[in-house]
Amino acid sequence: MDKVTCIVVGAGPAGSACAYALARKGIETVLLERGRVPGEKNVSSFVLYTSELKRLIPEFRKDLPFERTVVRTDQVQLEPNDAKALTSYNYQWVDDPLAFTAYRRKFDAWFARKAVDEGVQLISGMKVNNLIKDGDQVVGVRVGDEELYADVVVGADGFHSVVGEKSGLITTWKPERCFLAVKEVLDLPSDVINERFQVADGIGCEQGIYCYHMNDLDVFSATLYTNVDSVSLAVFARLDELQKKNIQLHEQLEFFKQHPYVDNLIKGAKLREYQAHLLPDGGRVKPENLYADGVLLCGEAGGITATVTGMGIPTCLLSGMMAAETIGDAVKQKDFSKRSLKNYLKYLDSTALLAMVHKSRKESDYYASAARLEGPREMEAAADIYNQYWETDVMYISKHSFSLLVELYLRIGQYHLPGLLRWPLTALVKLSRLPAKLVEKIKKRLRKRYYEWKGQPAGR
Amino acid sequence: MSGKASLPVDEKMATVKIKIDKDAHITVKKERCQDCPTRPCLVICTAENYQWDEKKGELVFNYEGCLECGACRIICPRDAIEWSYPKGGYGVKYRFG
Ligand SMILES: Cc1cc2nc3c(=O)[nH]c(=O)nc-3n(C[C@H](O)[C@H](O)[C@H](O)COP(=O)(O)OP(=O)(O)OC[C@H]3O[C@@H](n4cnc5c(N)ncnc54)[C@H](O)[C@@H]3O)c2cc1C
Repeated sequence: MDKVTCIVVGAGPAGSACAYALARKGIETVLLERGRVPGEKNVSSFVLYTSELKRLIPEFRKDLPFERTVVRTDQVQLEPNDAKALTSYNYQWVDDPLAFTAYRRKFDAWFARKAVDEGVQLISGMKVNNLIKDGDQVVGVRVGDEELYADVVVGADGFHSVVGEKSGLITTWKPERCFLAVKEVLDLPSDVINERFQVADGIGCEQGIYCYHMNDLDVFSATLYTNVDSVSLAVFARLDELQKKNIQLHEQLEFFKQHPYVDNLIKGAKLREYQAHLLPDGGRVKPENLYADGVLLCGEAGGITATVTGMGIPTCLLSGMMAAETIGDAVKQKDFSKRSLKNYLKYLDSTALLAMVHKSRKESDYYASAARLEGPREMEAAADIYNQYWETDVMYISKHSFSLLVELYLRIGQYHLPGLLRWPLTALVKLSRLPAKLVEKIKKRLRKRYYEWKGQPAGR
Repeated sequence: MSGKASLPVDEKMATVKIKIDKDAHITVKKERCQDCPTRPCLVICTAENYQWDEKKGELVFNYEGCLECGACRIICPRDAIEWSYPKGGYGVKYRFG
């Protein structure tokens, strides 16, 4: 009977981040992955924003496997007969890149390797089937016929989380809480990509494409990202809507590819690989369901992801880091009970993670309730989220005093206030470069109000 | 926009590498499908692995060509589809995910 201090299930971004951070603390950690190599089971579009990764591995750029550095973001609004684009450049990123296009197969393997270099024991090709419990306390996992014991188990096993479901913390996702994605990686020569997307060698762009009246779906969007000699094209729709309207998503992808805007960019490209994956609508798991006796959930397994913003990996990665902090404390106190692991919420709250995830949820509620948003507004909202991320490093709320104010403004001010009130608020947000102490005070109060307004208890 | 899909799904699937396990990771309680009014698995599956066999009058499926999105598991209104990931090391093997 083997026993270690910590078992992390799933070598995705959440799991590898957690295992890496645990090993740095000298905590004995086993990382279990069902793929023969980390990454071969996983699908993203995939643009990687690296602020969080940088905090974990400052020298990550030395050997990060990536395709192109992203310096341009296009928000494209597509209707059957026209296309409008909002393009943002960030020239600073040419020399000091923040985002990269990449493949999960390479990135996940690289990330897990980093964890192994720190002392993590990676066991791949192993699927966890069940948890082992002693009363309420989770004490290990079952892998095939084998058993592996630990003081604490971290569920970083993504969408269909065995750890989450078997611990009773979460139930299966409901169709109305999921997005289905199909994706194609399409071969295009490098110089053709450069010409069509107006980029240079090594430099790429990401396009978020919002589709209106393109088909019978109310919610239908796409991403188109440039790799070295291929482009990644993914389309997304709500699972419940596909069901209700009896629509095949992969067929919609084919129609979508015939739109002149898309066709001009990808014509002549040959299909390299076809993929499919589900995404949860982030923020649907109650904070108190992220931990129990001997078990923590991070990343997508706990719904800690911001689906609408496309910031899945950074949020998952950061939650893995926070799980490791929590376990670090638990190891010191030799206490792996629910009471001790509750600290997880404190750590999550020290970042803007929960607020960010919650925001994503509100955003998607908003999309769903408004049936179909007017295009420009949705684009503006998305652009705002991106800008906020770039400019203020929004995940680290504690370091950036203004983000709550900005957030409040964005959420309430932007759409629902009359201009008379909106403009002074805008000015306030812009001018709110107040002394740090004062900001702390305001922030505390705002945070309380904010949670009240969100209908969540403040003192969490 | 209308028209027929230009690339049929089996041509798409030809680009995917899968290591097939001899044990199926999908089981279906077929009797539950008989009076299922919508059979959403037929349209939801991104690999079109579920088909309605008119002759036999039952649901047929092919676990070998599974992309492992698991949408069928989420969508089945009758709880008839038992789907879990394939055994460790088996199943889909994305090279450019
Ligand atoms: C089409 C698409 C495009 C996306 N694009 C982007 C993007 O551009 N940028 C971005 O930041 N995010 C993007 N996302 C979101 C992002 O992919 C997810 O948020 C992220 O992968 C979640 O990370 P995770 O570590 O929580 O889970 P995962 O990445 O799903 O990792 C879970 C790991 O656990 C393993 N596992 C699962 N079950 C078991 C088990 N029982 N036993 C052992 N191992 C197991 C899996 O094999 C996997 O390696 C995209 C998602 C999709 C579907």
